[in-house]
Amino acid sequence: MLKPTVMTKVVIAGTKDALEPTISVLHKLNVLHITDYIEESADFKIGRPLKSASKHSEHLLSLRTIANQLRVAEKDPTSKQSAQQLPSQIDEKIVNIHKEVSVRTDELRNLEFKIKEKKDLLSAVKPFTGLPLSLELYHGYETVKVYTGFIANDIENKVSGITGNYELFTGEHDKRKVFALFVPKVFEEQVQKLFQEEHSYVELKVPDLKGNPAVLLDELTKDVYALKEKETNIQSELDGLKKEYSEFILAADEYLSMETQKAEAPLRFATSPNAFIIDGWVPTKKFAELESGLAKSSKGLVQLIKLEEEVKEEEIPIELDNLGPAKPFELLVETFAIPKYKEIDPALFLFFTYPLFYAIMLGDIGYGIIVTGMAMVIRNKFKTGALNGLGMILLLSGVLSILLGVIYGEFFGFPVFNVEHETGILGAGPAIGGLQLPVHRLGSVQQMLVVTLIIGILHILTGLIIGFRNKAVEHDIKHAIYAKGSWIMILLGGVAAIAKLMPSMMSRNGVPSGDPIFMAGIIVTLAGIVLLIKGEGFISILEIPTILSNVLSYSRILAIGLSSAGIALAVNTLSMNLFIKPDHVWLGGGVVLALIGVVILFIGHLINLLLGILGPGLHSLRLQYVEFFTKFYEGGGMKYAPFGYNRKYTEE
Amino acid sequence: MVVDAGFIAIGAGIAVGLAGIGAGMGEQAIGAAAVGAMAEDEKFFGKGLLMTVIPESIAIFGLVVALILLFVFGA
Repeated sequence: MLKPTVMTKVVIAGTKDALEPTISVLHKLNVLHITDYIEESADFKIGRPLKSASKHSEHLLSLRTIANQLRVAEKDPTSKQSAQQLPSQIDEKIVNIHKEVSVRTDELRNLEFKIKEKKDLLSAVKPFTGLPLSLELYHGYETVKVYTGFIANDIENKVSGITGNYELFTGEHDKRKVFALFVPKVFEEQVQKLFQEEHSYVELKVPDLKGNPAVLLDELTKDVYALKEKETNIQSELDGLKKEYSEFILAADEYLSMETQKAEAPLRFATSPNAFIIDGWVPTKKFAELESGLAKSSKGLVQLIKLEEEVKEEEIPIELDNLGPAKPFELLVETFAIPKYKEIDPALFLFFTYPLFYAIMLGDIGYGIIVTGMAMVIRNKFKTGALNGLGMILLLSGVLSILLGVIYGEFFGFPVFNVEHETGILGAGPAIGGLQLPVHRLGSVQQMLVVTLIIGILHILTGLIIGFRNKAVEHDIKHAIYAKGSWIMILLGGVAAIAKLMPSMMSRNGVPSGDPIFMAGIIVTLAGIVLLIKGEGFISILEIPTILSNVLSYSRILAIGLSSAGIALAVNTLSMNLFIKPDHVWLGGGVVLALIGVVILFIGHLINLLLGILGPGLHSLRLQYVEFFTKFYEGGGMKYAPFGYNRKYTEE
Repeated sequence: MVVDAGFIAIGAGIAVGLAGIGAGMGEQAIGAAAVGAMAEDEKFFGKGLLMTVIPESIAIFGLVVALILLFVFGA
């Protein structure tokens, strides 16, 4: 908690004979973060992959092709395959599946091509069904030129102006006029010119077929249908294959990935002709595990050495270490940046403040219940991984939103307790612990504004204090006072001064220069500014207003909440007063009107809920990232990625 | 008075509206650049977000002014 896992730097050295068993045991232990060996020297070169590497990656490649063709997706396994049995059957099985699948995918491609061909013909024949001629009659003349196409205007007059010796057939297709014109070739030039000037003319190519177009059309449609049926059959065969083999494919993929990972591991080691050296990090609490694991496998051929030298902070891999419900918040921290080794890991602070900000913004029993329900569904559907973590964050936020909803007395925007001008569902609100419920958001904006700003001041102050600690650890106390102490003084002094100044200005009493708190605030602020300039240079004076905007930024907690409550209120007022309960009479406008009202109510709240999940989520996060993290968090660490694999589809 | 309340409401609206437009104009260029940087390297997310939301404080200032107008002077 608060600090990443403590790491120990280790070196593993051994003779080449022990390389493979060492890799195996390291991979199985899944604790060593290997530092890649990059600089080659005369004595030590980057290692070569094990012999099995190329075979495994070849298999993996064809396996992934199959998976792609079958569209095998990752899923939770129903049963795990034994990693002992897999290697013996993997080669043969992959070849077989590959054969079965590729025969079918090839045929599928073939069929698709044929279907396209037939469909093209189909659309080419279609227009000719409007004309009374067989298709073979359109070509094969020596002295006659045939024109076919769509046309909007009558051309008979114009053609007869050129020659009386012609034959014109017209018909209709798809509400357009089709025609076929037969003229002697001697008039070709004039007729051609006629068509060039006729803008509505669209040429139709006669398909190279024989017979009655209507009959042909029928035949082609049947052909396409038959081909499609074949396609469906093959597709369902493929689906069958997918069902049959997808567990094997996923398990084999996992097995081969692991084997490739192992086989390629020497690329990260330093090797000489007879020995190898692995550099890396291991969580200190898992050192013993590594030590005993290696001792068992190596028979004395491998040495494990703990190094206690000073290293750069950036080189130490980071594993965040938080408990239970605070764990998912690491996700939000890592999205921003991975902390450095000596930095404070802010996940725990997010655990406390993120759901709180979210809830103050959303604050509605109805919405809170829905968000909580969604979170439970997500957590149920995704048992592991990032989405499960997000589900947990949403769950905490939702539950707190319900609680805040009780305090605000809001249920889908309807008042739960009596507020000004309106009666609540449950009547007058109770007083709990001195707090008279409800705290009506829309009616107590001023007080809420003050509360949000106080939250902001405390949050920023926490950030600055952590920053002070980080600087003190990284450099020294003096540095910390210059860099962060100065800001703490400016913040606290400024708050004291403004808290006294504002009311006095509001009541037009002028500057309260006699007030000791006001004067103390001014002095502390000035002292802070002097320290800041001394530590960070004169230019830092430009940064001073940011602390004000940082604090004011927390007013968004109020603003987002107000807009959410406002939209809910608007939706409710609209649907209730106009449709469902006009003039305070239930169903006063009839059932139809009331139903429209219900639809409005539903859609309005759906939109507001979507906004209500997105808005508070993002803005709560933004307050963390922009206002809070900037006070102390630098990041720049490297994530701890142990050499190994988390089995999902196979078991030993 | 009703007229006063109207003017106060208009003032509050202008404060939020103009501040929002200003913040939006500021954010559009930064946002585009930040997305570009993120496309090259996802690690820019944190920094990109920070930069993008810097002009947003202007909108918040507008909001605070509007709230003061409405609830301090309007009340």
